[in-house]
Amino acid sequence: MPLSSLELKSSELFSVAGKTVVLTGASGFLGRTFVRTLLSNGARVIALGRSERLQREADGWSQEFGPDSIAIHRVDMYDIPALSRTLDEIAAQEKSIDVLVNNAHELGAGTGFNVPEGSLDSATMDTWMRNLTGGVYWAALTTQKIGVRMKQQQSGSIINISTMYALVAPRPQLYAGTDFINPPGYSASKAALLSFTRYVASFWGLHGIRANAILPGPFSNIEDAGGSNAVQQDSPFLERLKGFTCLGRIGSPRELAGALLFLASDASSFMTGQAIVIDGGWTAV
Amino acid sequence: MTDAKASRASTLFDLSGRVAIVTGGAGLLGYYHGAILAAAGANVVLLDLEVANPQTRAKQLTDESGSQCIGIACDITLESSLENAKAQILERFGRIDILINNAANNPKVEDGNSAWSRLENFPLDVWDADIRVGLTGAFLCSRVFGAEMARRKSGVIVNVASDLAVIAPDQRLYRIEGLPENQQPVKPVTYSVVKTALLGLTRYLATYWCDAHVRVNAISPGGIFNGQPEVFLNRLKELIPMARMANRDEYQGAILFLCSDASSYMTGSNLVIDGGRSCL
Repeated sequence: MPLSSLELKSSELFSVAGKTVVLTGASGFLGRTFVRTLLSNGARVIALGRSERLQREADGWSQEFGPDSIAIHRVDMYDIPALSRTLDEIAAQEKSIDVLVNNAHELGAGTGFNVPEGSLDSATMDTWMRNLTGGVYWAALTTQKIGVRMKQQQSGSIINISTMYALVAPRPQLYAGTDFINPPGYSASKAALLSFTRYVASFWGLHGIRANAILPGPFSNIEDAGGSNAVQQDSPFLERLKGFTCLGRIGSPRELAGALLFLASDASSFMTGQAIVIDGGWTAV
Repeated sequence: MTDAKASRASTLFDLSGRVAIVTGGAGLLGYYHGAILAAAGANVVLLDLEVANPQTRAKQLTDESGSQCIGIACDITLESSLENAKAQILERFGRIDILINNAANNPKVEDGNSAWSRLENFPLDVWDADIRVGLTGAFLCSRVFGAEMARRKSGVIVNVASDLAVIAPDQRLYRIEGLPENQQPVKPVTYSVVKTALLGLTRYLATYWCDAHVRVNAISPGGIFNGQPEVFLNRLKELIPMARMANRDEYQGAILFLCSDASSYMTGSNLVIDGGRSCL
């Protein structure tokens, strides 16, 4: 097989130009970076999100990248019938769907983040169920609805956004003396998502569908001023977070862009059932 | 905040002006690793034994990519040979940014021509030689070239492990009908041992050189289709969700991802690319 210089150009190998991507949690902290990464590389994005912010963001994306490049669906994903209808609609409307990014998760009081009742001792069944619904059932439902289209096409890449806490537990000393809590349901549901990723990879590999996960480490959203889960730049919590990475710093959202393009494009055509850990070395020690 | 231009694939994966070393660079996979780095703009140095003709392969790579590439005949198990190579590289390009530890002995067992590979028979000198090339070689290259990166406080090392670094070989793949048990060929023990050890080396170096801003990651590829016997392919297909071996160009994306700034927050990690084999 001769090498073609054109195929080997990095911009070709990692190209998502012309691909249609369905992405959940588009107005969130990482979701916005993912959408911009995909749009600026020529993909068309069908963005799902709940907050009012989604429309504002979409107006900006539309201006910058053209109105045809972005479609949004505002939906409360906990409303499963509504989510199902939205996904059915997308699956019926789109000529092809090449990539599905399961990025949404509720990082707030409802899932037990940073509230006393979210802790291991106190988390309620409702808190647990919201984590499990967001952490793994949303991905299961989108995979069923959108994945069926991919099966018809005999091609597709499913990218599940998990967390390094699917592999290692949060460290208690991070939270000592602060109001921050990272609830147990988050770790457990995101670990379940890894297992689901492998399951999809195993059963749909023959249909040309790949399923992989990205496991981000600390990407604290200091840039998300006013966001519900924002952390102050000078927070001692942030200093502690840095200390547990090898690189000695928090990741910037754009440092996930490479992994996203790698998994969304043909550059990873033989990769399935795997997890890419991007954590500044947190889990290496 | 995302700068649209900075996250464009052409910028994110660009290696213009960087110097990359690939050990075993004249071999099948090594050359392909070098080719994608050269295509991304790097000056590539192919290290290999004289008998593998690294200079000729480097000329071919230069012609194909347009990047200036050189081949250096070198024995990676000898530190003096590596020091000599380093001096040549620094004289020619003035810097070292990327090292891919790719060289390894990998005797073919799919053809199943002997029982020498069985644990009971495995010659100690083959054990020593395999470990010397695959493991000691990676250690020495990391020390010699990595020290130069650490000195400049910037660099990337990628160790090429294997799916057999995360799972055991399934020896039933290599069986030949009709042969007695003690004659059945197997995947040699050294392959698993060397490749697994490279994951340990990866994590060790990742933390060791953190402050020096040298990132160290591994890639664990599955087998590459290279005309293996059909009976072997049919058995292997059953173990892989994607039901095929890799094409030889299917690791280039991962190599470029790990060698470029696209993976700038990644260190101590292992990318498993095996068509899903190890997730079963």
